[in-house]
Amino acid sequence: MIDTTQFPALIVVIPLLSAFIVCMAGCFNRRLCQPLTVLALAGSCWASFATLGQVVKSGAIHYRLGGWAPPMGIEYVIDHLNGLVLVVITTVALLAAVFAKISVAEELPTRINLFYTLYLLLVTGLLGMTITGDAFNLYVLLEISALTTYALITIGQPRALHASFNYLMIGTIGASLYLLGVGHLYIMTGSLNIADLAVILPELYSSRAILVAFILIMVGIWAKMAFFPMHSWLPNAYTYAPNGTSCLIAPLMTKVSVYIMLRVMFSLFTPAYVYQYLSMANAIVWLAVIAIISGSLLALAQKDFKKMLTYLIIAEVGYMVGGAWLANEYGITGAILHILNDALMTLCLFLAAGAIIYKVGGQQLTDLKGIFHRMPVTMTAFMVGALSMIGVPPTAGFFSKWYLILGGIQAARWEFVTALLFSSLVNAVLFFRIIEIGYFETPEDKGVNEAPLSMLAPLLLVAVSLVVVGIYSGDIVSTIIQYAVPKGI
Amino acid sequence: MIWQIDIMILTLIVICGLFAISVKDLLGAAVVFGAYSFLMCLLWTEMGAVDVAFTEAAVGAGVSTVLFFAAVHRSSRQVKARVSGAMLYKGLGLLASGLMGGVLFYASTDFPDWADPASPASSHLSPHFITQTIAETSVPNIVTSVLADYRGFDTMFETAVVLTAGLAVLIILRLGGCRTAGPIREKNAAIQAAYKDSIIRFVTRMVVPFMQLFALYVVAHGHHSPGGGFQGGVILGASFILLAISYDLKMALNRINEKAALLLANTGVLIYGGIGFLCLLLGANFLDYSILHRILPATDEIAARSHAMLGVEIGVALTVMVIVMIIYNNIVSNGSYEKGL
Amino acid sequence: MELLLAKYNYWIYALIMMIGLYGMLAKNNLIKKIIGMGIFQTGIIVFYVSTGAKRGGTIPIIEHGHGEEVHEVIKALDYVNPLPHVLMLTAIVVSVGTLGVALAIALRIYTEYNTLHEDEILERVND
Repeated sequence: MIDTTQFPALIVVIPLLSAFIVCMAGCFNRRLCQPLTVLALAGSCWASFATLGQVVKSGAIHYRLGGWAPPMGIEYVIDHLNGLVLVVITTVALLAAVFAKISVAEELPTRINLFYTLYLLLVTGLLGMTITGDAFNLYVLLEISALTTYALITIGQPRALHASFNYLMIGTIGASLYLLGVGHLYIMTGSLNIADLAVILPELYSSRAILVAFILIMVGIWAKMAFFPMHSWLPNAYTYAPNGTSCLIAPLMTKVSVYIMLRVMFSLFTPAYVYQYLSMANAIVWLAVIAIISGSLLALAQKDFKKMLTYLIIAEVGYMVGGAWLANEYGITGAILHILNDALMTLCLFLAAGAIIYKVGGQQLTDLKGIFHRMPVTMTAFMVGALSMIGVPPTAGFFSKWYLILGGIQAARWEFVTALLFSSLVNAVLFFRIIEIGYFETPEDKGVNEAPLSMLAPLLLVAVSLVVVGIYSGDIVSTIIQYAVPKGI
Repeated sequence: MIWQIDIMILTLIVICGLFAISVKDLLGAAVVFGAYSFLMCLLWTEMGAVDVAFTEAAVGAGVSTVLFFAAVHRSSRQVKARVSGAMLYKGLGLLASGLMGGVLFYASTDFPDWADPASPASSHLSPHFITQTIAETSVPNIVTSVLADYRGFDTMFETAVVLTAGLAVLIILRLGGCRTAGPIREKNAAIQAAYKDSIIRFVTRMVVPFMQLFALYVVAHGHHSPGGGFQGGVILGASFILLAISYDLKMALNRINEKAALLLANTGVLIYGGIGFLCLLLGANFLDYSILHRILPATDEIAARSHAMLGVEIGVALTVMVIVMIIYNNIVSNGSYEKGL
Repeated sequence: MELLLAKYNYWIYALIMMIGLYGMLAKNNLIKKIIGMGIFQTGIIVFYVSTGAKRGGTIPIIEHGHGEEVHEVIKALDYVNPLPHVLMLTAIVVSVGTLGVALAIALRIYTEYNTLHEDEILERVND
C-alpha cells in the first residue's frame, strides 16, 4: 500500500501524527509517552535514510502534496543537501529522545506527556523546514519549531524565564523578517515555490526590492541562528533549559538555520548573485570571524560548563556562516560537512553534560572534581566530543575544519583561517581545563557512580559515530556533499 | 476598493498603534490595541479580504483583547519607565526601527502600484486559482479552496501551530498535566460564591446557544461565504469564554474539563492529518482528497475534494475552539483554574 | 497624488512595522513589548493584503447560482487575488499563538519576580 514514493511525506507526517497520539495516550498512561516517541522517531529516521538512499541512487525527488502540481500546490524537494540534513535531524532526535527518558522523568515529572508532544512537534517543525520546497510553508514550520522551543526552554530553571522571553522577541522578529522577505519576493514575482522563484528571479536581479528581500531573509535567519551580533539570546536560553530540551535544540536549531541559509543562497538565489552581484561577502566573513573569536573567548570566561558549551555553539555558527560566504567549493563543502559533524559533536557534549548534571546535580566547573574517576565511560565519550571540537584527527571535527581552512586559504581570507586556528586553540585550553579539574583534583567520594544505561547507550553511539563519520568523511563528501555544492563558483 | 477610505483607515491605524505603545496604563493600552485590530478589520474588508477580516475580528480584536485583559488582570496594570539607561534603549530602538524603515521604504520604490491588476502577484498564480476553483474543487469561495486544498498542507501545520500554542501555554502555566488537575466538579458552591449579576447571566444564557449555532454555520458554510474552521472555531471558543466571564471559570470547565479538552484538541488535528493519511493509504499522495471518491458514496473526484475540505474544516474548528479555551483559562487563572475575571 | 495613491499602503506598512519594532526593543514593560510584537506582525499582514488588492476586483468568492444555473465564464480580473488572504489567515493564527505563549511567559515571570519591568527583572536575575 505505502510504497517508497511516499517516504518523503512519511518523514514529516509520522512524527506529526504521533505527537497527537502521544498527547492523547499520555492522558491515560504516562509511561506510554516516551516509548511511542522513540518508535515514531525511529520510523521517521528509517524513512529519511531510505530517502537519502534514493537520492544518492537516482537524484532529486519531488513530492506533490495534495497532488497539486507546483507552483499551485506545495511540493517537497529532496536533494543531496537536505537529504543529508534530514538524516542528521532524525538521528539526533532519536538519540536525544532515548536519552531524555530519565532526565525528563526527574526534571519534569508532572509534564511528561506535554513534553514529548512538544518534542515531536519540534522535530516535525525542523524536518518540515528542511524538506519543503515552498518558501511560505517554511515559515509555518519555522513558527511551529519556534513556539515549541519557547515552551520547552521556559519550563527549565527559573532563570530560563527571562531568557526565553528574550528569545521569543528575537525569534519573532527573525521569523517576521523572513516572512516579509518572502512577501517582497511574492510582490515582485507572484510565486512562492522555491524552484519557480529561482526561474523568475534572475530577470529581476537589478531590482531594489529583490535586494531588500534577500537582506530581510538573511537577517531573519541570522537572528534565528544566533549569528553575531544577534547572538545574545542563545547562551542563557540554552543553559537554563531542561537537559532533555537542550540535548535536542543545541545540536539542531542552529544547524537547520544554517541549512536554510544555504538553501536561500544557492537554490532560491544563485551563487553568482549572492557572491558577485552583492558585495557583502567580505563583511559577512568578518562578522563570522568576530563571532568565532568572541564565542571562544566568552566560553573561556564561563564558570558554568553548560554555558561554556553554549558559547561554543555561537563560535561554531561563525564557522559555518563564514565557510558558506568564502565563495569557493572548499568553504561550502566544509560548511555542509560541518552541519553534520557539529550536530553530532554538540549532541555528544550535551548528552555527556546532561548525564553529568543528572549524577552530580550541579553544572559548575567546580562540580566536576574527580569526575573521570566517578563516571569513566561518560567522560571517555565526552573527551571524544571534545577532541572533535578541538579538531584532532581522526574525529569528525578535524575534517570539516580542514575543508574550512582550505577554503580560507584558497580565498586568501587569512583572518578567517586565523580565527579558526585561534578557536581550536581556545577549545583545547577549555577542555584541558576540564581534564585538569576532572582528572587531577580529588573527588569527595571516590566510588564509581556511572550514569544509567539509557543515557550511556546513545552517548556512546554518538561518540563512536563521531570517529566513524570522521574516517568515512571522504566518502560522505564524494557521494553526497559534492553534489550539494552549487556548480560554477 | 475606495482609496479615500483606505487612506483614512491607514492613518487612523498609525495613530492607534502609536497610542497603544505609549499609553501609560496597560488596560488602556489593551483597549487601544483592540481598537487597532478593529480598524485593521475594516481595512481588510475595504481591500476585499473578507476572510482575513473575519479572522481578524474574531482572533485579533476579540480573543487577543480578552487575553490581554486576562493577563493584565493577573499581573499589574502599572507601567514604569526604566530607572537607568532609558536613553540607551530608546536610541537602540530608534536606530533599529529607523534602519528597517529606511530599507523598507527603499524597497517600496520598486513595487508595482497598489491595486494594479497587472502586477506580478495578480497575474502569475492567482488567475489559476480564480478561474479553476469551480472546475477543480467545486468550491466557490476561493480562499477556502486554496486554504484547505491547494495549500492544505500549510493549513494542517497552521492547525498544529494552534495546538502547539495551547500546549505551550498549558506546559508553561499549569504545573500538572491532565492527570493531576484538581477537583473541579464542585458545581454549585463555586458558582454561587462568585459575583452575581442576574442581567448579565440571563443575557449570556440567551446568547450562547445562538453564538454556537452561528459558529456551526460559519464552519459549515465556509465553502460559499467568508468563514471556515478557524473563524467558526474561535467563535465557539469565545462562547465558552463568555460563559467563563459571566458566570465563573468552573462553569466553563464543567462543560469541557481539562482532560476532555486535551483529547478534543488532538482529535481535531488528527481528523485533519487522518484524512490526509487516508489518502496516502488509498494510494494517492498525502492530502490528495480526490482519491477519497473511492470510499465516499455518490461522489466523483471533484466532489470528493469539496467534502474532504468540509471534513478538515471541522477538525480545524474543533482544535481551535478547545485551544482558545485552554489559553484563556490558563492565562486568566495563572494556571490554577481557581478563579477568572 | 498618483504616487501617493500608488504607494501609500506600502509606506504605512513600513511605518507600522517601525512602531512595532520600536515597542519591542525600547519598552521596559513586558506587556508593552508584546503589544509592540502584535503591531509588528500586523504590519506584515497589511503588506501582504495590499499585494492582493486589485482595482475593479470584488471579494474572492465566485458568483454562483443554485440548481441548474450554469456558471458564467470566470474572469480573473473580476476578483481580487485570494492567495495573500490565505497566507495571512495563517499569519494571523500564528500571531495569536505567539501572543498566547508570550503572555504565558510574562505571567510566569510576574509570578517569579513580582514585576513586569525588564530593568527590575534583570536586577533580580543578577542578584
